[in-house]
Amino acid sequence: MLTTLIHRELLDNLMTFRFAAAVLIILFLMVTNTAVLIKDYERRLAGYNDAVKMHQRQLYEKKTYSAGEVYADRPPNLLSIFNVGFDKRLGNQVEVSHRYVPSLWDANIHESDNPFLDMFASTDIVFIFEVILSLLALIFAYDALAGEYERGTLRLVLTNSVRHGHILLAKYISAMLCLLVPLLLSFLLAVILLTNSASIILNTHDFLRIGGLIFASAAYLSVFYLIGMLISAAMRRASTALMLSMFIWGFLVLVYPNVILAVTRRLEAPQARTTSAFNQIEQIWEEFERKRKHFLATDAFPGEEWHFSVIGGGSLYAGLSDDLGRLWYIYESHMHFETLGDEHESKIPYAQNYFRFLGRLVTDTADRTWLIRKPALESVYIHPSNVEKAWLKLSPVGLYDSTTQAWAGTDILGVRDFFEAARQYRHQVIGYFYDKDVFGSRAWFSADKGAPDWGSLPQFSFQRVEININAKRALPDLCLLLMINVVLFIVIFLIFIKSEV
Amino acid sequence: MWHIAKRELYDNLNSLRFALATVLLFGLMITNAVVHLWKHPERVQEYRYGVAEYQNRLKPHAEDSLYKLAQQGPGELLKKPSPLHFCAEGGEPFLSDSAEGGYHRWGSRWWGYTLESFWILAYSSATASVRNVRPDVTKVDWGFIIGYILSLIALLFTFDSISSEREQGTLRLMLANSISRHTVLTGKFLGALMSVSIPFTVSVLMNLFLISTSSDVHLNAEMWSRLGVICSIAYLYICLFLALGLLVSARVQRSAVSLVILLLVWIVFVVFMPNTLASIAGEYTSPKSALGFNEHSWQLRDELQSEYRHRYGASEDPTKKLQVAGEYVTKDAEQQERLHEERLNQQISQVNRARTITRLSPVTIVQHLFESFAGTGFERHLQFLENVKIYAREYREFVLDTDRSDPESLHIIGVREGMSQKSVSPEAVPKFEDTLNLSKDFNTSAMDLLLLTLFFIILLSGAYLAFVRVEV
Repeated sequence: MLTTLIHRELLDNLMTFRFAAAVLIILFLMVTNTAVLIKDYERRLAGYNDAVKMHQRQLYEKKTYSAGEVYADRPPNLLSIFNVGFDKRLGNQVEVSHRYVPSLWDANIHESDNPFLDMFASTDIVFIFEVILSLLALIFAYDALAGEYERGTLRLVLTNSVRHGHILLAKYISAMLCLLVPLLLSFLLAVILLTNSASIILNTHDFLRIGGLIFASAAYLSVFYLIGMLISAAMRRASTALMLSMFIWGFLVLVYPNVILAVTRRLEAPQARTTSAFNQIEQIWEEFERKRKHFLATDAFPGEEWHFSVIGGGSLYAGLSDDLGRLWYIYESHMHFETLGDEHESKIPYAQNYFRFLGRLVTDTADRTWLIRKPALESVYIHPSNVEKAWLKLSPVGLYDSTTQAWAGTDILGVRDFFEAARQYRHQVIGYFYDKDVFGSRAWFSADKGAPDWGSLPQFSFQRVEININAKRALPDLCLLLMINVVLFIVIFLIFIKSEV
Repeated sequence: MWHIAKRELYDNLNSLRFALATVLLFGLMITNAVVHLWKHPERVQEYRYGVAEYQNRLKPHAEDSLYKLAQQGPGELLKKPSPLHFCAEGGEPFLSDSAEGGYHRWGSRWWGYTLESFWILAYSSATASVRNVRPDVTKVDWGFIIGYILSLIALLFTFDSISSEREQGTLRLMLANSISRHTVLTGKFLGALMSVSIPFTVSVLMNLFLISTSSDVHLNAEMWSRLGVICSIAYLYICLFLALGLLVSARVQRSAVSLVILLLVWIVFVVFMPNTLASIAGEYTSPKSALGFNEHSWQLRDELQSEYRHRYGASEDPTKKLQVAGEYVTKDAEQQERLHEERLNQQISQVNRARTITRLSPVTIVQHLFESFAGTGFERHLQFLENVKIYAREYREFVLDTDRSDPESLHIIGVREGMSQKSVSPEAVPKFEDTLNLSKDFNTSAMDLLLLTLFFIILLSGAYLAFVRVEV
């Protein structure tokens, strides 16, 4: 019986104009947008490669260790084609130095060729689905029950010994089968276009992630179909149901996400938390200054000058600098000489001694600062963003967006993984500096006897997280989506069996 | 005709869609007003603070000497925020709100003689939100409310106006009377226009009421006239979508099909076309890449420096030496400024190309129009840059004139010893004041207005032809 019903419904749905038109439009939009997105990805990849090369070249040109700036660069995420998330927006290059622990807030963006072009928002594939698939699902659903009430065919069907549940199930399954056709076709097209591009290589994990995206999309689609069906069951008249569905669609997809953020954005960063953390950090660095001065006062060299009056051809700089907004506090000391007169030769051991001590002290102080800085940054920046995301999740659109971001790895956690890797890389670099006694070497500040060996410095590499971690991050929102599905279905069922035909 | 229009209006007033549209528009307009009342005072405060800082910076330079003024430049030049920001946000976060009028680029020592770089006009890009980890969001401005929501509402009011009458058979009845078809069509059009206009007008008035009662936002007569223009554009835009709805409704037998077609057309033209077309247009002819630009600039600087350094070393006479040094400093500033301007012009022409192509979508036209009349967005940014350039010329002329009027000066611009040593009265230095100009706005947007009207006429005549030829 169920199969007969499904069969009938399927034929009804497939042979309609709305189905054909929707499939055509979706495929058209998918092809144009995917082509544009792939171009954009390729350009970002080229930008990344250029930046890596430039940083490498600039590093190798440096004649002393203290002048060298080591950078970690974040490659663009391939799956940002599906959901761009934070991939394009947040910083993608960060300096890795012993002076501070790198975090998301210290990063920069590779300078864009034309910053004005950012004015035009980019549409990713998930956005197409967000807008069109939901609309499509509602167009399929508005007359599913109301139409049958009106025509009286429901009464006819129910005179046979068909259970209410079976009718609902048959309608749901057949409509979902129809709706999955454009969904799967467009994913197929996207993957074909992706594999055709020369610079893109998809591995098994990426395919699994795309599978996760498809599953999330199907769940999202089903939520909207069920919303439409609920309206249809409750309204009983097709035209009313249609009108209501359209307005609910407009509200959920266009209005709610924008209005709720406009209203909640009032809550700015808590100033008090920032200043109290900053004061603590300042104290740490005051202690650092005391230790540093104490060292200079008690070492064997007379005088308290940090550069031991060594002057050569090059540059000298030392000082503290800070930035309250990102709780940033560092002590920089650059002593960079290309040539050095012989008269300074006697002072050099003292300078080496001092810089060996200073390197260790700066590193330890930076590590201690990080212990305060990390929770403060979390509460100042991450916490409000989480609150806003929670507000967004009241709409299925928000849930869908965040779960697809998690699958694609373009969510905030995915971007922060990079900075975690950068922090680990910092450990490696510092470990290397300690092993080779780089801080205490002559090449730290002077290029006259031997240049630094940049080639043997550890290389930075960033691997995206495993698929199971992506799945773990995507799962809560996915479960919520599925739960909404179940609840909606139960409500529809209750309304349907209670209603008189 | 009026009878038909009235009947349509009464029909609509009692309908569900009217109630929902009213609620939706009210909610959005109130949100818009409230957000503007929160944010605008902050923007104005920031601007005032920035202007005060700029004047504070100028003062000690003027009191020091003319050379200091000429070398350091005016400092950061700020864009004035528009009080009509709530009409169109205009991608402002991606446009810089200032131009850099002088920062220290280099200092150099030539055989013990210290040379400092002269100021140039540089165009900083907007400090994009690298630190902002909050979710992305479209601003709820009038451009969004009218461009997206109101157009959708207009379609929902017209998709069944003809097709449902045909389905019910009432169209045949109506045409059996001696009513001409164009009267029916015009009546339906006017009826729909009135029914959409009522909630829209009321919510707009409510929005303006909220905004004008606040003491923080001052709207003068010019602003009100701009608002009037913006509202008329909004009505034209509504008419356009009503005509589209009538056209499809007249062509199609069933209202469900008509709605599907309209929604798909709406999605393609309103949601996707603006962004996708811009991305496609942006692909072509990229300006010189950021990395390449910096290297090119350094290279030119080094070439110029080595050339003049050589000439400086070769000359014996101290006045001649000064002349060479001064010439170098001015040449370098001119060259670097030209480089920055070339790059900016390339970027602007690329964006203009993208904006021209996106005009195929009516929603972009409306957003461009709103931006230009609200004094926000890209056109406004160009106007600001123009103002900045005019000011830079004025500032430089002022320096030259003051130097010329000092008989003790050697009139060698570019070095301290060659220029007037007297201090300048801070009041005499020209100040930068950013202005908005309506007539200029109108010129740039006339094309958009014409295009919008053209779209409307084409759609309306299409609807008329379709309805005349339709068999009842």
